[in-house]
Amino acid sequence: MKSVKGLSMLYINERLNVNEITKSVAKKRLFIVLKNIFLYAFVICMSYILLYPILFLISNALRSKEDLFDPSVIWIPKHITFTNFEYANVLLSYPTAIKNTLLMLVPSVIIQTFICMMVGYGFARFRFAEREILFTILLFTIVVPLQTIIVPLYVKFRYFDFLYIGRLLGFITGKPLTVNLLDTPWPFYILNLFGMGIRSSLYIFVFRQFFRNMPVELEEAAKIDGCGPFTTFIRIMVPNATGAIITVMLFSIVWHWNDYYVSAMFYNENLPISVMLTVLNNRMSMIQDAYNFSSEDIYLIGSTVLEAGCLMVILPLIVIYIIGQRYFTESIERTGIVG
Amino acid sequence: MSKTNSFKKFFGKKLTLRQKEAMYGRLFILPWVIGLIVFFIIPFINSVYYTFQKLSLGENGLEFSFIGWENYIYAFTKDPDYFKNLTSSITNMIYEVPIVVVFSIFVAYLLKDEFKGRTFARTIFFFPVIIASGVVITVLKENVLGGSTSNMVASSTTIFKAENLRAVLINAGIPRWFSMYVVDIVNKIFDLTWRSGVQILLILAALHNIPKSFYEVAIIEGATEWEKFWKITFPMISPTVYVAIIYSIIDYFTDYGNQVMRMVVNEANKGRFEYSTTIAIIYFLVVMIIILIVNRFIGKRVVYLT
Repeated sequence: MKSVKGLSMLYINERLNVNEITKSVAKKRLFIVLKNIFLYAFVICMSYILLYPILFLISNALRSKEDLFDPSVIWIPKHITFTNFEYANVLLSYPTAIKNTLLMLVPSVIIQTFICMMVGYGFARFRFAEREILFTILLFTIVVPLQTIIVPLYVKFRYFDFLYIGRLLGFITGKPLTVNLLDTPWPFYILNLFGMGIRSSLYIFVFRQFFRNMPVELEEAAKIDGCGPFTTFIRIMVPNATGAIITVMLFSIVWHWNDYYVSAMFYNENLPISVMLTVLNNRMSMIQDAYNFSSEDIYLIGSTVLEAGCLMVILPLIVIYIIGQRYFTESIERTGIVG
Repeated sequence: MSKTNSFKKFFGKKLTLRQKEAMYGRLFILPWVIGLIVFFIIPFINSVYYTFQKLSLGENGLEFSFIGWENYIYAFTKDPDYFKNLTSSITNMIYEVPIVVVFSIFVAYLLKDEFKGRTFARTIFFFPVIIASGVVITVLKENVLGGSTSNMVASSTTIFKAENLRAVLINAGIPRWFSMYVVDIVNKIFDLTWRSGVQILLILAALHNIPKSFYEVAIIEGATEWEKFWKITFPMISPTVYVAIIYSIIDYFTDYGNQVMRMVVNEANKGRFEYSTTIAIIYFLVVMIIILIVNRFIGKRVVYLT
């Protein structure tokens, strides 16, 4: 803007020295060059830091036993091998575990996004007496993680009855009617349906901030055209919230995929992929028998197999991210996510 | 508007506009309120009840015996680690969260403008979002940062070691405690950059949401780059910065790498659920107080357009 200012001055004040203008333009050009150098240096350094763990995982997962103690191998192993992936595949029961994860994840993500959007809209746009206190409680629920309430929740889903209907029926039949929901994805669906899923409160908070900054005129126009609040929400607000929806969905997918604490509590047998990874080391004996390994071999390849397992667990997420990132990063620019 | 009519019939009187608005608002948040009561408040009260009990595995499953404040007293006076871990994680939060937030604002500002390879840079900067939660990061931290025992070659190439920096700082006459903090932060650079993915994303979106006309006016008025940032950009993104601060605090405290969280999980794994719940509840009361304080000081300074 210095040059703009300078130019306008030129028109007003003819005494201004032309030399000064060229000097300021040159100064500006130098500034841009320096800024670019700094920018690229920074981006390259950061890329190295951020990609280091993944490169490390790939490099290690491809190593064979001989490369592990070879000091001349730094990044690229001399004997590239894919056997580590083979072992990890067996140890993780990869296809079944992925199926279990998807069964839990897909409905959960959809339910969670919609419910959080609805509740967030309710908090952002309607005035009622108890709103502020409820919102403070919402903040509180973000901070209290599931760890504090996991044991009562476990009991609740072990003997589940919806809104105590089963217990009421129990007075008639003599035995309370309860369902065991453990080892099914239903605890996740139910928690998400009632806005209590993994990080639901945070998404409600995000949507609330988003809707709060949307122009009120949209809704007023809809109201004049005869839309009720629910029609307005579905037909006006939801289509306008694509950016926020995509972001929350991506986070929701990531957190459901990566969650292992809650899943480990609710599943005993149909373990999802993330829980499988945590027990991978304990299952080493599986390949010991199948491939005739000595316990020394197991000790040696233990970490490389674990690293191959890690890569296999995050691979689907990386694929989703690479496919979706264009739309995702563009949507940030187009609509913005959070006010 | 048939819904309104049915409500009118139901209540037998006409609602005022205000009342109608309030009613619809309550309907919107109804699922969450039910969830809050059934899946949060009741289990939470149950958990608090457990903290006054001693759990033991008996013949008929779990057995409870009332022991009063014993668990709380144990946490503060007898447990060798708890109080120490609690205070250290609070002090760490106080300097880590500002660094994460300032760093996120800085990176988001850099990534905002068009330059060659921006898409690539963005893809990489949001990359930690995918992995930074959950099990993989735990394994990564043990293997990459800690250096695994079975992998001698790799462990010798740990990326950030600030041992030399500490010597330099202390020789330069900088107070010991301060240089310790600096070294600590430098050691955690990896951790901090990995934790700021979500915040960068939020702030970047907010930056793109600022109307261009604001800057045009500023240019005509002859504002410098510095003035534009503090007079336009910063107030406009302040609601998001507020979200980012709250998010960073929560993320820091609920991270599985946090010492207190690790204690909570470990105690639960040992089967001492009542003690695990006790320390978790104390911890989150403390965190809640911190968040309320932050809310009080920052929440009021946030600028909302509407």
